[in-house]
Amino acid sequence: METRTEAMPASSATATPLRSLVIAIAGSGGDGVALIGDLLLKMAAHQGLYGILVQSYGPQIRGGESAVVLRIGDREICYEGEDTDVLVCFRASDLKRFKGSLHLHDESQLILEEKDPGALPDWLGTMKKPAFRHPFATWDGDVEVAGEPKNMMALALVCRALGWPESLAQQALAERFSHKPALVERNMPTFRKAYEAPNVPQLLQLKGHGVPLVVETGNEAVARGAMSAGLEFFAGYPITPSSEVMETLIDELPAVGGRVIQAEDEISALGMVVGASFGGVPSMTATSGPGLSLMTEMMGLSSMAEIPTVIVDCQRAGPATGMPSRTEQSDLYHAIYGGHGDFPRAVLGVFDVVHARDVMFRAFELAENYQLPVLVLSDAYVAQRRQIRDGVTDRRDKPRRWRWTPEDAPARFQLSEDQPVNAFRVPGTPGGTYLAAGIEHTEDGNPSADPGVHQRMSEKRFRKLESIAADTRGWVRTFGDPKAAKGIIAWGSSFGMLSEWIETHPEYRVFMPEILHPFPLEAFTEWRKGLDETTTVELSYQGQFHRYLSSLTDMNGVRSFARSGGLPMSMRELDEMLGLSATRKER
Amino acid sequence: MKPKDLRTELLPVWCSGCGDFGVLKGLTQALSDLNVAPEKLAVISGIGCSSRLPGYVKAYSFNTIHGRALPIASGLKTARPELTTVVVGGDGDGFSIGLGHLPHAIRRDINITYIVMDNGIYGLTKGQASPTTELESKRSRGLAGGDEQPLNPVLLVLSAGCGFVARTHAGNMPHMRDMMKQAIEYPGFSFVHVLAGCVTYQPRNYSDLLLQRSYELPVEYDKTDLGAAINAVRDGRFALGVIYKRPLEEVSATAGAASEEEWTPPDAVLKQDLPTE
Repeated sequence: METRTEAMPASSATATPLRSLVIAIAGSGGDGVALIGDLLLKMAAHQGLYGILVQSYGPQIRGGESAVVLRIGDREICYEGEDTDVLVCFRASDLKRFKGSLHLHDESQLILEEKDPGALPDWLGTMKKPAFRHPFATWDGDVEVAGEPKNMMALALVCRALGWPESLAQQALAERFSHKPALVERNMPTFRKAYEAPNVPQLLQLKGHGVPLVVETGNEAVARGAMSAGLEFFAGYPITPSSEVMETLIDELPAVGGRVIQAEDEISALGMVVGASFGGVPSMTATSGPGLSLMTEMMGLSSMAEIPTVIVDCQRAGPATGMPSRTEQSDLYHAIYGGHGDFPRAVLGVFDVVHARDVMFRAFELAENYQLPVLVLSDAYVAQRRQIRDGVTDRRDKPRRWRWTPEDAPARFQLSEDQPVNAFRVPGTPGGTYLAAGIEHTEDGNPSADPGVHQRMSEKRFRKLESIAADTRGWVRTFGDPKAAKGIIAWGSSFGMLSEWIETHPEYRVFMPEILHPFPLEAFTEWRKGLDETTTVELSYQGQFHRYLSSLTDMNGVRSFARSGGLPMSMRELDEMLGLSATRKER
Repeated sequence: MKPKDLRTELLPVWCSGCGDFGVLKGLTQALSDLNVAPEKLAVISGIGCSSRLPGYVKAYSFNTIHGRALPIASGLKTARPELTTVVVGGDGDGFSIGLGHLPHAIRRDINITYIVMDNGIYGLTKGQASPTTELESKRSRGLAGGDEQPLNPVLLVLSAGCGFVARTHAGNMPHMRDMMKQAIEYPGFSFVHVLAGCVTYQPRNYSDLLLQRSYELPVEYDKTDLGAAINAVRDGRFALGVIYKRPLEEVSATAGAASEEEWTPPDAVLKQDLPTE
C-alpha cells in the first residue's frame, strides 16, 4: 500500500552542495526580532529560496529575551544549521539565554549596536571579520530612549547584505500588515535610511529558482494534512506546543463544512472525537504529553469499541509540566504502551513540515481502514518551526471507512478469518443499530464476562496489527551509502539534522522508521546487514527508542546515544559523541 | 413505532424492583410518542447500573467509560446533528467523576437530552456513598463523607444556564413519559433529574421516601422564571415537573440546535470495493 502524497526532500539525492546562510537575531521583548525572522523567511520563499526558522522564547508570556535562528538556502532545508553566519544583536547582554544555540566561526558576520558597551560571551566563539556596528538605539546621554524601530533597521541591513531589493521587503511588509498600510508607510523611511547606510558588508548571494514557495509551521502542516485526508471533526484543548493545530483548524475547517470544538479538557477532547467518529465522521484531536496522559483511558475505548481516532501528540520535555516550550522524544513509551489492558493502536513519527502532511494522510488511512486509535508523534521542534516548502496538490482518493449495508455480517464485531475488521455501522443506516461498548462484548456487542470471549475478541482486535504491519512494511526512510559499515538509527525530528549530516559522513548509513508501532522489523533487519558499528540516537533520558528496539530484536553491541530533550540534537553533538570531532573541523 | 419495538432482546441486569426499569419504559414510551426511528436515535452512557440502559434500547447505542458520556454525545451530536441523542446515567457517573463536563455541555447548548437516574448511591460497586447520598444516611451506615454535604444537582444545572430542567419520579410512569418527551423536544441541552430507588443498597422503601418529600409544581408556576426555578429547588423537598424552560425565542442557535439537515457521509467503501486478500 503506497500512500506517499508528494515528493520527498531531495536530501539523499543531492546534485549540488547546499549553499546556505544561518542568520541569528537576538533581542529583548519589544525589539520585534520575531517579525524580522518572519519577514526574511517570507522574502526568501517569494524568490524560490528554501529555509527554516526556529524561535526561542523565555518563559515569560510577553517580553524577556527572544531570538530567532533562520537558515536560508538554495534547496530544501529542515535543519537550522550548525554555526551562525550572521548574528544581529542589539545588546550583548541579551545573548546569555541562548547559550548552546549560537556558535560563531571565522567568517561570521556580526551586526551590533554602535554604542553597546557589553562584551560578547566567551561561549559564543570568535570570528575573524570585523563586526559591523550600526546606531540602532537612540540615546539621551548614556540612557537609551525610545526611537525609530530597530527591527526595521536590522531588516534593512540584512536585506542589503544579502543583495535583496527594497521592493521585496516592501511587498513582504505590505502582505504582513495588509490591515495597517499606514504603519508600513510610516516605517519605510527608517528602512531606507538603514538600507543606504555606508559600508554594509556583503553576505553570500543566494539565488532562488524564482517560483514562489509556501511558508508553513509543523502544526499548520498537521492541520492541513488532516484536512486533505478527509478530517471533518476536530476537538482539542489548548496546550503548548500543539495549540496552533486547533487554531489553524478553527480558521480553516468550518469553511469547508467541518466542525471544531474547544473542549473543557483533554479527556473531553478525545471523548468528542470518539463520539463524532462513532457517528461515522473522520475525526481527530491534537495535544502534548500532559494531554495525552489524560486521553489514555479514552484511547483504550477507541480501540475496544473499534472506533477510528487520530491523536496528534506534539511532544515536549516532560514529565508532569516539564519544559512546555522545549522539545523531546520521550512520549514514545506512552504512545506505544500507555493505557490499562491490552489493546492495539498504531504510532507514526513526523520528520519535518513536508513529511507532516504525508504522515497525516497515512494516519487517517490506518485509522479509517482498521478502526483503531492512531497516534502521530510530532514534537516542539517540528511543531513550532516555520519551514519553506514546495506547494502541494491534495490527493483526491481520501481514506474511506468500510460502511455496513444489510448484505454485510449480521453482527457488528463478527469474527472472521479473511477480514481483520468489520463493516462499520454508521448511525442513520436502517437495520444497523447495535451497542458499541468499552465493556468486553460478544460479536453482537452485548456485554460479556466470559473469559473465552475476552480471549477471542482480544485476538480479533490484535489481528489488525498483523495486517497493518504487512501494509506498512515499507514505511521507513533510509539514506547514506547502503553498503556503509556504520549505522545510525533514529526517529522523528532528528531527520533534518541526519539527512544533512550524512552528506559529510559517507562511512555511515541511516535508518528512520516512519511507523514506530507496529515496527517495520523486516526492513530494519534487512538494512542492518553488514554493519560493524551501530548507534541509536534520540532525545529521551531513558533511551526509550533503544529499549523499545531491544524488546523487538537483538540490539546487543548497538550503542545508545540518548539524552533528555530541551534543545534538538546538533551535528556537532553527534560528531562529538561518535568521536568524530576532528573530521568535523576539517570541513 | 410502539415502545416495545424500541427494546432490544437483551434482558436488563438490574435487581428486581430497581427504579431503572421504569426509566427504560418511560424513555421508550416518550420516544415512541415522538416517533423516533431506531436508526435516527443514539443513546449514550458512561458506567454504572443505570448506564447499562443503552444496551436495552434499539438504537445506535454506546456504553462508554465512567463519567464521559457527555463529551462523547456532544461530539456525536455536533458531527451528526440530525440524530436524536439521549444521554443516560447515574448520580456517581454524572455528579462525581463526570461532573466537570456538565456545565460545559450546558454552555455549548448542544441539543442533547441528559437523563440522570439519581438513586443516591453507587450500586454497581456495591453501596458506597455518592455525591447525592444524604448526610444522615452516610452517618448511620458508616459510609465515607459523613461530613460532606450532598450536592444539589438541579440547582447546579440551573446556575450553569441549562435551558430545560425537569424532575420526575421513577415510580410515576405518565409523569416520566411526559417529562422525557418534553425534554427531547426541547431544541437545546435538556436535563431530566429522575428520583430513582435502589432496592439493594438503599432502604426497601427509599423510593417511597423520595416520593414523600416530593410535590408537583402547581399549575400557576411560571417555568420561564429562572428566579422562581431557583427558589423551587433550594429547600429539602423535591419539586416535580418542568422546573425551568427557557423561552424558545431565547434558545441559542449553536451547534446542533440550528442546523439539523441530513449528513452526507464521505464516499463509502462497500464490501465489493475491498481488496481481496
